[in-house]
Amino acid sequence: MWKEIGDRQSGKLRPNSFISRIRSNRASSLQLSNHKEIVSPHRGAINSLQVDLTEGRYLLSGASDASLAVYDIQHATDYEGGSFDHHINVWDTNTSQVVMDFKMPGKVYRTGMSSLATSHMLIAAATEDVQVRLCDMASGAFSHTLSGHRDGVMAVEWSACSEWVLMTGGCDGAIRFWDIRRAGCFSVLDQSHSQLGRRPPLLERSTTKVTTSRSFTPGQTSSSKTRPPQKKATSSSASKHSGSSRKQKQRLHPGLLSSQDRATAHYGAVIGLKATEDGMYLLSAGSDSRLRLWDIESGCNTLVHFEITRLQTTKAIQLAVTQDSALVFVPCMTSLKAFDLWSGKTSMTLQGHYEHVNCCCYNAYDQELFTGGNDRQILIWSPPKLISQDVDEWDGRTGKPPALDEDNWSD
Amino acid sequence: MSTYNYVVTAHKPTNVTHSCVGNFTGPQELNLIIAKCTRIEIHLLTPQGLQPMLDVPIYGRIATLELFRPHGETQDLLFIATERYKFCVLQWDADANEVLTRAMGDVSDRIGRPTDNGQIGIIDPDCRLIGLHLYDGLFKVIPFDNKGQLKEAFNIRLEELQVLDIKFLYGCPKPTIVVLYQDNKDARHVKTYEVSLKDKDFVEGPWSQNNLDNGADLLIPVPPPFCGVLIIGEETIVYCSASAFKAIPIRPSITRAYGRVDADGSRYLLGDHSGLLHLLVIAHEKEKVTGLKIELLGETSIASTISYLDNAFVYVGSSYGDSQLIKLNLQPDPKGSYVEVLERYVNLGPIVDFCVVDLERQGQGQVVTCSGAYKDGSLRIVRNGIGINEQASVELQGIKGMWSLRSATDDIYDTFLVVSFISETRILAMNLEDELEETEIEGFCSQVQTLFCHDAIHNQLVQVTSSSVRLVSSSSGELRNEWHAPNDYSINVATANATQVLLATRGGHLVYLEIGDGVLVEKKHAELKYDISCLDINPIGENPNYSNLAAVGMWTDISVKIFSLPDLNLITEEHLGGEIIPRSVLLCAFEGIPYLLCALGDGHLLNFLLNTSTGELTDRKKVSLGTQPITLRTFSSKSTTHVFAASDRPTVIYSSNKKLLYSNVNLKEVSHMCPFNSAAFPDSLAIAKEGELTIGTIDDIQKLHIRSIPLGEHARRICHQEQSRTFAICSLKYNQSSTEDSEMHFIRLLDDQTFDFISTYSLDQFEYGCSILNCSFSDDNNAYYCVGTAYVMPEENEPTKGRILVFMVEDRKLQLVAEKETKGAVYSLNAFNGKLLAAINQKIQLYKWMLRDDGTRELQSECGHHGHILALYVQTRGDFIVVGDLMKSISLLIYKHEEGAIEERARDYNANWMSAVEILDDDIYLGAENNFNLFTVRKNSEGATDEERGRLEVVGEYHLGEFVNRFQHGSLVMRLPDSDVGKIPTIIFGTVNGVIGVIASLPQDQYVFMERLQTNLRKVIKGVGGLSHEQWRSFYSEKKTVDSRNFLDGDLIESFLDLGRSRMEEISKVMSVSVEELMKRVEELTRLH
Repeated sequence: MWKEIGDRQSGKLRPNSFISRIRSNRASSLQLSNHKEIVSPHRGAINSLQVDLTEGRYLLSGASDASLAVYDIQHATDYEGGSFDHHINVWDTNTSQVVMDFKMPGKVYRTGMSSLATSHMLIAAATEDVQVRLCDMASGAFSHTLSGHRDGVMAVEWSACSEWVLMTGGCDGAIRFWDIRRAGCFSVLDQSHSQLGRRPPLLERSTTKVTTSRSFTPGQTSSSKTRPPQKKATSSSASKHSGSSRKQKQRLHPGLLSSQDRATAHYGAVIGLKATEDGMYLLSAGSDSRLRLWDIESGCNTLVHFEITRLQTTKAIQLAVTQDSALVFVPCMTSLKAFDLWSGKTSMTLQGHYEHVNCCCYNAYDQELFTGGNDRQILIWSPPKLISQDVDEWDGRTGKPPALDEDNWSD
Repeated sequence: MSTYNYVVTAHKPTNVTHSCVGNFTGPQELNLIIAKCTRIEIHLLTPQGLQPMLDVPIYGRIATLELFRPHGETQDLLFIATERYKFCVLQWDADANEVLTRAMGDVSDRIGRPTDNGQIGIIDPDCRLIGLHLYDGLFKVIPFDNKGQLKEAFNIRLEELQVLDIKFLYGCPKPTIVVLYQDNKDARHVKTYEVSLKDKDFVEGPWSQNNLDNGADLLIPVPPPFCGVLIIGEETIVYCSASAFKAIPIRPSITRAYGRVDADGSRYLLGDHSGLLHLLVIAHEKEKVTGLKIELLGETSIASTISYLDNAFVYVGSSYGDSQLIKLNLQPDPKGSYVEVLERYVNLGPIVDFCVVDLERQGQGQVVTCSGAYKDGSLRIVRNGIGINEQASVELQGIKGMWSLRSATDDIYDTFLVVSFISETRILAMNLEDELEETEIEGFCSQVQTLFCHDAIHNQLVQVTSSSVRLVSSSSGELRNEWHAPNDYSINVATANATQVLLATRGGHLVYLEIGDGVLVEKKHAELKYDISCLDINPIGENPNYSNLAAVGMWTDISVKIFSLPDLNLITEEHLGGEIIPRSVLLCAFEGIPYLLCALGDGHLLNFLLNTSTGELTDRKKVSLGTQPITLRTFSSKSTTHVFAASDRPTVIYSSNKKLLYSNVNLKEVSHMCPFNSAAFPDSLAIAKEGELTIGTIDDIQKLHIRSIPLGEHARRICHQEQSRTFAICSLKYNQSSTEDSEMHFIRLLDDQTFDFISTYSLDQFEYGCSILNCSFSDDNNAYYCVGTAYVMPEENEPTKGRILVFMVEDRKLQLVAEKETKGAVYSLNAFNGKLLAAINQKIQLYKWMLRDDGTRELQSECGHHGHILALYVQTRGDFIVVGDLMKSISLLIYKHEEGAIEERARDYNANWMSAVEILDDDIYLGAENNFNLFTVRKNSEGATDEERGRLEVVGEYHLGEFVNRFQHGSLVMRLPDSDVGKIPTIIFGTVNGVIGVIASLPQDQYVFMERLQTNLRKVIKGVGGLSHEQWRSFYSEKKTVDSRNFLDGDLIESFLDLGRSRMEEISKVMSVSVEELMKRVEELTRLH
């Protein structure tokens, strides 16, 4: 660290590379925090976690016992103390009163607000219903219902680069892209639509052969899935057309080609969606225990193979991505795994919860990760702090000595 | 309250980031264009050397600087892109001698993550498009139409995520880029793509090359006829094209810059990280590349850019040392180097640390910076003052006085220079060869010391010696009259003007003579109570040859008396107080206002307003100019009167806007000075300093003077100790042996006058000096140097061990008196309530200085405070501690004496990655952060709730565009208590680009006025390339961009003074303030630096 600070001072290291280097160092050294702890007041499984976007100071947690809690994570104290009851409530956090209430037609799996929106105040709600509803906080009414999914919707995610674009993932295995200014969905992600062969080589070589053999490799590594090779080849050549004529596709919407409309992103339900902060990629988790990385602009499956063995299948999960899009955090049953976004390799396995982990939230300000699970606990994972414990250095009056309660989590 | 701040550059950036050569100002003119981060300089190549043509600020940090020539143009255009995603195309307007903006625009995107490796901007050699790599995974294309105009930009997806370099290939039918990138497994490859403008996409290019040198970092496209690319690695250089692949191994080095020598691209200059310059030659048979050759040419500053000018002249721009103009010789010198350094251009960057010292105790700071890096590390002493441009000098010991004389009363030039010694007087004159030669004036007495000389009317000269006054013809040199002092009454002091002589003898006798044509007439005599120490009858009335008043300084009663002439009536008496006698008095008029200046023997100067009719003295003011007796003399420069105060700290006194101002002269001790305006040296001064007589001209404005102390190693921290008159630095030396690079870390003690190393303490292996402090502790009068260190182990991410070393200077040696081990790096040390406050990793720790039973002392920890990520920068004031965190902005802690504990009081919850903090006043704290912004926060003690009180409110925000490493309280100019600017608190900052800047906290009314002026100036002064000043100064970070507030850009405001009269009037009209008033108020601010 000292070296990096010295290099930044002498202008050898660019300030922004300094930041990203330190952030990624810290992100890769996450462990159960030895200086912060959250005592969860919840009596049900924690389903959702969110850090406030303005200062990164407050953590909001939602649990299945219909309770919400806010924590001041800078001072590591409990500050105070949406849901399966078919309602979405909007709270004023300063007064902790419900200011709005939206009645939903079924269980609410997930809600989302655009972090960049300046001209609307819409909450997107993913529910058991096939329609995605947008609740307008300005009026207190539903402003849109987005129809397209053939089953309940478990995941919503707003685009990180346009306030009008919403991405939803359904139990039908489809990921749909919506421009909320227009009717209908404008794109459906197709898992067999890959990037390969998008840029034909300069010299006309035997293109098809190359593509098929290459696109096959990821399939081979995971033996669990068998896909007919011809189908793969055809769909990838079809995608070549659609890729090069994106404009044409836009013109077709709202009535997308029916073949495209039936495309699926996962074999099974889409249980989690997360866009990278730069707005270029989308990660999706499916009940098929797959994590896929999508190039948003072209709608291509990047075919990165993530080393996931099992995901829980019944509940929506919340994914998190580091700010530099290097790591994705995925709740994998009782543990949380971090994967390298580009190679799919496991870089960390965080064991701490006794039961299934449902959600995680990465605080980019402090490089801290929060996880919540069915065991009703919220755990904080942070870069280790060197805490001196010798008597000379330690002054008992300034605070309580750091209690390393790691024994609680030894497994 | 220091809410309102004025930021101004005292020393412009000198770090050369880019340079290029081309025909910019004319088809036949070859130009060197240099970018210094936020400025560009245009030079013209002439047979005499580089001639500066233009130096302008750019409202942005320059990321790309490229010359290009669209089809059909006869001269080059300049493309500039800034780090905040603005670009412009500039063209030279030969008629107006300025740059025109041909195109400009914004290339920012909402999508994508800014690249870590820096922005890349390239132009197709056939001018079909501009390519920009600004965000990971995106390549932006700005196409040219066939008239050379820019068309709408679009993005192409770049699948390579870690791009290291992109260049355009030469000689391709379609624009083709070559991309050097690193894959997931850290292997490096190159790949080519054709840009298809029609499809707005890439097409796979003609070739690619996998698995290159792991240190490959730089691509050099080779022009026709070869049309390949050179890939520069750390251990190999590869030439690659569709048909050829040639590689050579090189000595391990990191190549930082290259310059193409020949238009056909067969030779390149490569500059590496240790400052070695190599020549790379592409061996070829016709158009076929047969191999590569590399040859070491010699050593230069560590290059950041290399531009081959012409005829073996090369410009080497540097970020870590002085930039250079070098010549490559055909034959090596005795040391085997082909490099001859012709000129060095000062570069202060990177200023890693600095201290403000007042070595002369004059109230004027001089800044001593730790500048440069690696082998080019140095200390720079930066001092504001008036420079003397030495033109001639002779060795002369023991000068007691000097006067210049004319050979005729109406002559405009001085001919003679009378130099007086203890037992003789010598006369120098200009001979026909314009050399100073000893001569004689027949009528002068040259065997004794001269007390005074002057030109007199009727072509006469006056010489006063201890025994007589002699009147001599200036043309023939014969003695025309002599007045003898009575026996036993030798003359002590004397003065004269063209018609009058006033002298004082032993016993307090004052004698007044008048000069006639060949006669000296004793007009009046007076006896005073005490001896007289000094006299003056400089005419300040209407008659330039006759004075109605005489000023007399007295021994014993320490007073100044004003007498009327010719009757020698005492009209005013002013007791000076104290015990120091007046040593020099001077009557003079500045801007028509008469003053009496009176210099004391201890280096103080008193000034009074003088009423010429009544002789009344009012408005007494006292300043300290030095420590030795001062001699006052007038001289004129640009037809206004200045006063030169010769002493151990020579000073020029002048007046502006009816205020007296004092400027240091950039000379050491001066004993005497007289104006010497000869034909060969017009408007010069003759200056007597230690054993030397110098003739030189004087600068008409004060500016920063920089003295360089090369260290050959990299100084990282510096501080000064008044008591021992030493500096201590933490430095590191790089040993670049052939096998392995190693670093050695030292604490060095330097003499504060000679800057010689006088003592060295070597730190352990892997131990770095992180912080240094001069302090003393309670119950101990000694001054100590405290040094904080860190053990930086290669395998550790963050240091876990460090030391605090306490040194005392004994016999000019560093003596280690105490040592304390810490649990991490000691990032900062502060003196705090007679104790030592250290920032150790995430902790703030307070140490007591304890006396042990055996009489030795030790540091004992008292209390600490956790809660930071890394507490990098700490400042204290009273019981308050302000901490700048690695990434959590500023927090305020308080030390509670009763509890002996440190507690957090408030913090700023913004996510600022800090680079420096300083306390402006009790409530306002200043911070500099990673994205080149400044901000101020305010303590909110009156907040209604704990929540409000616990929050530092952001009150000021500003984009400085510079990376600040250090703030220090202090001033670069003399701070006089009576002047307006003397009351404005200032802070000096130093940056990576070598900028020294000043932040001044203005009173609110002045701020509001200047803000109005700034707003109006923005409308009148347009940024180069159409870049907006308002946008440039807006606070800009990853998360937000907001307008600047409570900060003013002094550089913009002070550029008001450079405007033409018509534009000044334009502003004056809008503001309804007269031009003179505006100029006066801006000039006042310029005196802050």
